[in-house]
Amino acid sequence: MLNRTPLPTALAALLLSAAALLPAQAQDLKVLTYARTGQFESLDPPRQFDSESHDVIAMVYSTLLRYAYLERPYKLEPDLLERMPELSADKLTYTFKLRKGVRFHDNACFPGGKGREMTADDVIFSLRRFADANLNVKSWFLMDGAVLGLDAFRAATAKAGPKGDTSKLAIEGIKKIDASSFSIKLTKPNPLFLFSLASSSTSVVPPEAVAKYGDQLSANPVGTGPFTLAKVERKGVLRLMKNPNYHGRYPTVGAAGDADKGLLKDAGKKLPLVDVVEMPLIEEAQPRMLKLLKGELDWQGLDRANFSKMVAKKGDDFALTPEFAARFKIYYTPGIDNTYWALNLKDPLLGGNKKLRQALAHLVDTQAQIDVLSNGRGRKLKSIVPLDLPGSERDTGAATYDYDVAKAKKLLAEAGYPDGKGLPVLEVMFSATTAAARTSADLYKARFAAAGVQIKPDFVDFPTYLKRVESANFQISDSAWQGDYPDAENFYQLLYGKNGPPGPNHSGFNNAAYDKAYEASRYMANGPERVALFKQMNEILRDEVPVVLGYNTLRFGIQQNWVRNFKRNLMAPEFMYMDVDVALKKKGIPQ
Amino acid sequence: MTAYVLRRLLLTVPTVLGVALLTFLLFNAFGPDPVRVALGQHATPAAIANLRQQWGLDQSLALQFLDFLRQIVTFDYGKSFVTGEDLATQLKAGALVSLSVTAPPFIVGGIVNVALALVIARWREGLLDKTSRALFIAGMSISGLVYVLVLQYVLAFMLGWFPINGYVSGPGAVAYLALPWIILLVISMGPDIRLYRTLFLDEANADYVRTARSKGASEGRVLMRHVLPNAWIPIITNNVTSLPFLILGSFLMERFFSIPGIGSLTIDALGRGDLPILKAVTVLSAIALVLFNLLSDLLYAWADPRVRLV
Repeated sequence: MLNRTPLPTALAALLLSAAALLPAQAQDLKVLTYARTGQFESLDPPRQFDSESHDVIAMVYSTLLRYAYLERPYKLEPDLLERMPELSADKLTYTFKLRKGVRFHDNACFPGGKGREMTADDVIFSLRRFADANLNVKSWFLMDGAVLGLDAFRAATAKAGPKGDTSKLAIEGIKKIDASSFSIKLTKPNPLFLFSLASSSTSVVPPEAVAKYGDQLSANPVGTGPFTLAKVERKGVLRLMKNPNYHGRYPTVGAAGDADKGLLKDAGKKLPLVDVVEMPLIEEAQPRMLKLLKGELDWQGLDRANFSKMVAKKGDDFALTPEFAARFKIYYTPGIDNTYWALNLKDPLLGGNKKLRQALAHLVDTQAQIDVLSNGRGRKLKSIVPLDLPGSERDTGAATYDYDVAKAKKLLAEAGYPDGKGLPVLEVMFSATTAAARTSADLYKARFAAAGVQIKPDFVDFPTYLKRVESANFQISDSAWQGDYPDAENFYQLLYGKNGPPGPNHSGFNNAAYDKAYEASRYMANGPERVALFKQMNEILRDEVPVVLGYNTLRFGIQQNWVRNFKRNLMAPEFMYMDVDVALKKKGIPQ
Repeated sequence: MTAYVLRRLLLTVPTVLGVALLTFLLFNAFGPDPVRVALGQHATPAAIANLRQQWGLDQSLALQFLDFLRQIVTFDYGKSFVTGEDLATQLKAGALVSLSVTAPPFIVGGIVNVALALVIARWREGLLDKTSRALFIAGMSISGLVYVLVLQYVLAFMLGWFPINGYVSGPGAVAYLALPWIILLVISMGPDIRLYRTLFLDEANADYVRTARSKGASEGRVLMRHVLPNAWIPIITNNVTSLPFLILGSFLMERFFSIPGIGSLTIDALGRGDLPILKAVTVLSAIALVLFNLLSDLLYAWADPRVRLV
């Protein structure tokens, strides 16, 4: 039977293709404009792991799972799947059922240029490609050791080299059931595995596109996502056109208060809501802000320089200054990240003296760092977990060290260094050579000196930093962690004994009780039992001080009044859910 | 003349070789490890070894250097480590865009600045000279970044005379390039006019000029017929040695006005440890500098026969 496209869909596609050739504002289309602040590395899904690439890939491609737009804490939901995967009784095998009727974008790689229906073969092809060692996939760690036979397949691809043929090699744990279903068998029960299926690097790619474009797939993306990319411009304006065949719908469930904010008015509507997303590359803050103030951008993150001009802190809250309050909307949300000082426990001075580590914890003035150097754009952490994740201090209520010279002096005396006498100069490594890092170091130096402790900053570039923390070649390191997925485990693993150098546990902390609690909590569902284990781990960390906790960054942004349905989602781009009030936009910015 | 040209051309070979060796050592032996930059902090030792092999970084430094020399000779710099895109294509496209940013203000500036310097020299120590001196010295002490920030804010944002930023290829680019051109022109005025004025005045006090004046030649004729032709050599040097920088683009303009030239390509590559781009741009700009210096020497020889005898 001939595959016939319904007339309205074909017409819409035709109109949108024509629209791609014209400047979007010239037509009566709903256009959302947002400036990219950096260049993307690659639009070939497995070849990227940077936020600029991710933002675009997540609009053009789809993944098996995605993060719910409105619900918090972040939660996975089906994207290319009909429903969440079913887990076998032994908790080892997931069975996936694909959503019916999902089509790839029309592209020259398909016969007749017509996108075909996506099948289980495409998913399996994409997973095999993700595991190919020759693609240098940065996010491989997401599946490393998780799927039965996948690591062996990866080793075989490395052995075969970039030109070798591994297409006939079977992967024990990945099985096709029929055209729309397949299963994945894990090496051990691991609910965290599902997060890897929401990563843009595991997006589903058609084999035809890889065969046709090969290394140049980045310049010719072909996905099933809400938008198509008319032309890939690394430096100019990326113009994403609405995919009229997109399968997604606006969420019907939100977090508490979302309905009152009008975020559920479009519940159930077909996505995307705008016709075009325009993304010019503007790397400097001034032109970005000037364009926003002129109404040429619809929303934008707020950089440090403009932050101090436009935002006022009111207690713990932030608001736009009166000059901007009537004209724009502001938002802010905690990032999925933390900062901390890693104390190297292999260092003879720090490793053998707990009181000294506790004293140092009282001298790291994180609040001053936030207030003075970051304009207040951060929240001091009381546990290692960022605030918006389940298991953060909001659940565990953990306590931390505050800047307190008197307490530090007392502990220093107990540690054998009254008023810092006899204590060698401590070396703190910073993973940047910027002015900001130097200012930060100056602040710490002054604070430590108040208790008689001398520190010597050492500024290194990022690769050198990595080399040194991985070989435990440092005394104290100013570190940070950007979450790979929104789960507390991703942060507690930073101190798991088996993750010592060269792993992410830079301190080399090795505590049997901590490891036991970590292992018990690792794959546990969120709930009181997990929180109890987290509390136990927090207590151990507070007592042993392998790290001094820093802060959770706050991400700020500004929007025009005509932007609708916006809620910052750090795990998935918001563009397909957002809408523009065209009438209000025509009126311009209120003066 | 041919012997002179050949001698100068032969001298460029060891210079370029020296530059290539320095560039290579700077990035390959002492620079940060590009494999670690590319793979990030989740990299496994196997993945690091695999990529090192793919990029040829597992070979001895001598072999890598030979390969680098081959790239210089064949103009085949391979692909960017980060984006996987062909470098020769990127460099060619970027160089043309950079030229479109820097060449027009260079040419217009050359004419306008020489003319203004002549006018100022004509009425030296007059009101115009004194006022312009104060203005230019003040202007020269302000960073180029300030000009960009202020003129973009005033002319594009407040007055709306130009787009705030952006770029399109083709004739439409003029609308976007006009403001960067004006800024580059304004930035060049202070140092260029001050230099040319000094050159003209040096010549204006020479014996042959005094003779011309004593013969009753008008001040205008003295400047145009005697001073200007004799001041050409340092003006040529100043302009010809600037030519490679036209191709390298103006990083500030490209960055603030989102223009996809070669300047921003280099800065991006620095941030991402993209070794092939960095090495290509460094060595190509060195070669351009050597060649344009050669051109400037040839122009001297043409303008002043005494140079050929040295």
